[in-house]
Amino acid sequence: MSAGTPPLSGPPKPQAKALNCPKCGAAIVLRSFGQAETVVCASCHSILDAKDPNLAILQQFEIKTSDIKPLIPLGTRGKLRGTDYEVIGFQRRSTQVDGITYYWHEYVLFNPYKGIRYLSEYNGHWNDISICKTLPVADFGGANYLGETYKHFQSAEADTDFVLGEFPWQVRVGEKAAVTDYVHPPRVLSSEKLDKEVTWSIGEYMYGREIWDSFKLPGAPPEPMGVYENQPSPVAVNVNGIWVTFIAFTVFLLALMAGFDMRAKKQPVLHETYLYNRADSKNEASFVTNIFELTGHISTVEVKTYAPVSNHWIYLNYALINQDTGQAWDFGRELSYYYGYDSDGSWSEGKQNDVVVIPSIPSGYYYLRIEPEVDPALPSIPYTVDVTHDVPAFGIYGIAFVALLVPVVIISFRAYTFERSRWSESDHPPMQLTSGSGDDE
Amino acid sequence: MTQPVANCPNCGAKIVFRWSSSVQTVCEFCKSILVRTDVDLKKVGQVADLPPDSSPIQINAEGKYGNKAFVVVGRILYEYDQGGWNEWHVMMNDGTSAWLSDAQNEYAVSLSAKAQNLPAASQVQVGQQFDWNNQRYTVSVITPAHYRGVEGELPFQYWDKTDVTFVDLRSESRKFATLDYSDPEAALYLGEFVEFDDLKLNNLRSFEGW
Amino acid sequence: MFRKFYLLYGFLVLGTAAFGQYRGWSLATINQLKNVPKSVRDNPGSYRSVYGFYHHYTGGK
Repeated sequence: MSAGTPPLSGPPKPQAKALNCPKCGAAIVLRSFGQAETVVCASCHSILDAKDPNLAILQQFEIKTSDIKPLIPLGTRGKLRGTDYEVIGFQRRSTQVDGITYYWHEYVLFNPYKGIRYLSEYNGHWNDISICKTLPVADFGGANYLGETYKHFQSAEADTDFVLGEFPWQVRVGEKAAVTDYVHPPRVLSSEKLDKEVTWSIGEYMYGREIWDSFKLPGAPPEPMGVYENQPSPVAVNVNGIWVTFIAFTVFLLALMAGFDMRAKKQPVLHETYLYNRADSKNEASFVTNIFELTGHISTVEVKTYAPVSNHWIYLNYALINQDTGQAWDFGRELSYYYGYDSDGSWSEGKQNDVVVIPSIPSGYYYLRIEPEVDPALPSIPYTVDVTHDVPAFGIYGIAFVALLVPVVIISFRAYTFERSRWSESDHPPMQLTSGSGDDE
Repeated sequence: MTQPVANCPNCGAKIVFRWSSSVQTVCEFCKSILVRTDVDLKKVGQVADLPPDSSPIQINAEGKYGNKAFVVVGRILYEYDQGGWNEWHVMMNDGTSAWLSDAQNEYAVSLSAKAQNLPAASQVQVGQQFDWNNQRYTVSVITPAHYRGVEGELPFQYWDKTDVTFVDLRSESRKFATLDYSDPEAALYLGEFVEFDDLKLNNLRSFEGW
Repeated sequence: MFRKFYLLYGFLVLGTAAFGQYRGWSLATINQLKNVPKSVRDNPGSYRSVYGFYHHYTGGK
């Protein structure tokens, strides 16, 4: 740089210009240093030509309701993607679906180095939007952009109802654009056709909290209602991946089952058949078995009982007693079996066999104390008692399997209902699963 | 690098050429358009006042493209039906020249390229495809624009143009091409879109309040 | 996030199941008594069971 160079007298140094509305004289502030095409007078709602030094009037509109105020006031600055942007424009747009009018809001953001961005807000859902530099490619029911596939969500006509501030295009109240949204959460790809010109924009979902923090707004952001088209699923998990993990765990569980099954000794330690005789048992029905030894590590003991009951019952009070430690495991088992024949055919209820697995029996010398109780109608009945040491307890595996399954089912269900909610607002709503709609009169 | 110094033939002010290959410059004092001959400077025209524009780039701004540093030495302003844009002439630190365009804060760098059999303006259609440097380009937009003004040093003579047709070609990547019909013969520029942050610009214009 | 939790949880479940198998757990609910005297072998009737008398409803269908 050489000395003595005169100051560059190029274009005038950019300043936010303060001018006056030609219609009503109110002060007009231009914040975009010449990038705006139109600017709106907040007092008389005249849309003015921002490129004209005299601010020629392009349109004037009346607002139907008086309380349309931007949630982020014009002139507020906030940081998005590491850059400060200033809100320079605001518009309210609407669309009609099935006779209902839906409103949403768009904010024009400006940075003198990075240019223009947009924010949209609908029912508390926000999006950070910019114009696409590369053109997306649309095909049946979808579009592709920068290597991602987007699904068609909605096509609608968007009407501009209310405008405030500056816009980089020739905005008019009442202008209608054909808007098509394609989604790939958290992004949305939009094409907007206005007067034969198509503009593509790409948006990324933002939470109200992020907007409030970014623009340092007071109070709390509006609560989001429902699920928005590109709202990321809070069940932010790859559901398929979780099911794969579950399958892997199940395989592991089966391996455990096989392994422990091999380890189990399944050693028979007692096999006896006893005869219950009411006459003999009048004074004392209980008796003790021979002593048997349980060897090795602490494990289960299986007690199988069989009695040929036929429309009768037998109940056995069992106690497995360690002869040396005096510790007893007390339990009772019932065998009953009923059958018959009636108008519906033959029926039966109950079983002649019973199996129970006693937990955590240490090694040692044991015997069973047995006290039978028998259906009064039955004078005598034989029964067989089989005791096996160290058998696998399959119930534990059953519980483990359910425990593994439950979280996966819950998360899959939540993801499913979230996506149903999302798509219920689209042009492709999921089929109704209403039950009990027997309206076939 | 020695900077040739001369005097403005119109007002006598000192004219410094930052780029030794500059063909044309504009006197900052009297706004005369000066063209370099072998011997001296010749006044060929006058620049009207440039319109206010919003480009954050200015002459003497510096930046980086790829692994080369550059300095902004001149510009051409264009206008079309949707607004205007600037083609900033930049000098790379290896002495070559390139163009940094700023259209509503969308930035791109391009270089003049030689190619055979460039079509005439009337023969170009949207959708037509060309291959240059092993890259396929497709015509996306044909823009009738008009020249609005010049500033600083340029590598060729350029002033008082009226309507100019630009043909934009896009590719599958960030690469793009431009066919410039300022002259009857097409001029080809090959370049790519760049992000503001990647240009690492400094000595930019200051904006009040920013 | 959930994936990590589920992995940890799954290993806990499997670990507990393996430990249970190793220690001989089962699902049966058993009442335990201590200090049963050796004299019960000679006089089984003197054993005090946890259960009282069993009353069973012998209904049919």
